[in-house]
Amino acid sequence: MDVSRLDGRVAVVTGAGQGVGEGIARRLASEACLVVVAARRAETGEPVAESIRDHGGRAECIVTDVADGDSVQACVDETVRRFGRLDIMVHNAFMGGIPHKLENARIDKHWMKMSRTGVWASLFCARSAMPHLVESSRRPRGTGGGRLILITSPSGVEGSANIPLYSSAKAAQRAIAKSLAREWGPHGVTVNCIGPVAGSPALLTAFERDPALRDAIEARTPLGRVGDITGDVGSVALFLASDDSAYVTGQTIICDGGSFLGL
Amino acid sequence: MSVLVLGEGPIARHLRATVVSDVAAAVVVTEVDGARGVGPIEELDDATIDAVFEQPMQKVIAGLQQAHAAGVERIVVIVPTIGMSGGDRHAVHAALAEAARITVKSAARQWGPDGITVNAVALAPEEFGVDPAVSGPVAIAPRAMRGTVDASNTVNWLCSGAAAHVTGQTVVCDGGLWM
Repeated sequence: MDVSRLDGRVAVVTGAGQGVGEGIARRLASEACLVVVAARRAETGEPVAESIRDHGGRAECIVTDVADGDSVQACVDETVRRFGRLDIMVHNAFMGGIPHKLENARIDKHWMKMSRTGVWASLFCARSAMPHLVESSRRPRGTGGGRLILITSPSGVEGSANIPLYSSAKAAQRAIAKSLAREWGPHGVTVNCIGPVAGSPALLTAFERDPALRDAIEARTPLGRVGDITGDVGSVALFLASDDSAYVTGQTIICDGGSFLGL
Repeated sequence: MSVLVLGEGPIARHLRATVVSDVAAAVVVTEVDGARGVGPIEELDDATIDAVFEQPMQKVIAGLQQAHAAGVERIVVIVPTIGMSGGDRHAVHAALAEAARITVKSAARQWGPDGITVNAVALAPEEFGVDPAVSGPVAIAPRAMRGTVDASNTVNWLCSGAAAHVTGQTVVCDGGLWM
């Protein structure tokens, strides 16, 4: 297998200052992709970009607020201005997810952040990246191929008893991916989702607070462990970003060790 | 007894006139504006996202809350199948449809212990004014059945005491188009 499957390509990964986004950024960079670490705060994004460079990769941080369409557009414009192209757009950033009862949920407290950073931001990322992804797909095979990857969740398929409106926002992202797969297929651009369960900082913090939680998750997971943000989730993203997935579009790959088998 | 039907437009009006139940029930109709927000993603503006996705989705949430507050035992949410199938140049409509449909599952999980069932009935996109000639084929095959589709009986059943152990489901009522 070619060890530099993304050589020459440029990716933007939102929410790459930590967690799943960081894992995806690191994995893409390990295959010679130039990665833009799009983070809301430079304090988180810059260290990730620096660490990727320290390990021989190419990465730059661009501060981006995905809830703001102008900020997303500026990120894409700056990426293309500095690096000449954009081949892969990964929208991972997400805020919210406070447990709530649906009957008491408040739009301002329990919905809007998730709607803006999940649903609206997916549309912003698609809108801004679209012309560049199409251009990438016009390149000869092996040198380009536009990819939009949205990070969703198993709960976007099966709902959630704890965070119901989180699952609503994640479901919307899957529908956006299916629609854009239809819309962009004629241009050769693929659009897919990943539904991960992995050791993000939030989950690892929860494990520290409640060690039984890790045992519970591992017990219900056929593969018996919590996923790794780089080796597990990042590798799924790499597949979807690479030429290997050129005929896969509109799909959701659940990467959770087999906990959810309902697709 | 009569059923609380939340929503405007022809689907809500039809169900308001036809649906009855032997238990307290409510129907929430997702308000899809099939004429607005149709187009390539690069032409999508924020006002359209707000009008076609955000405001209708907030109405679905409010509708579920109103139904719960009314103390009903059965809740049915009407959605278009375009959320499951996706639709060419209809990303915003599809986002609304699927967000509403999966909210049903979450509500079913939360409210099941209280004896409340929550289900979705999915209708063909054209029932909501979405032009299938633009959005593309919902399925790989034509509709299996001929004739007019009327979802009233399906909604009636999900609203009834007979459907007491069915929750979190989506019943597609489109004459066998989306499978």
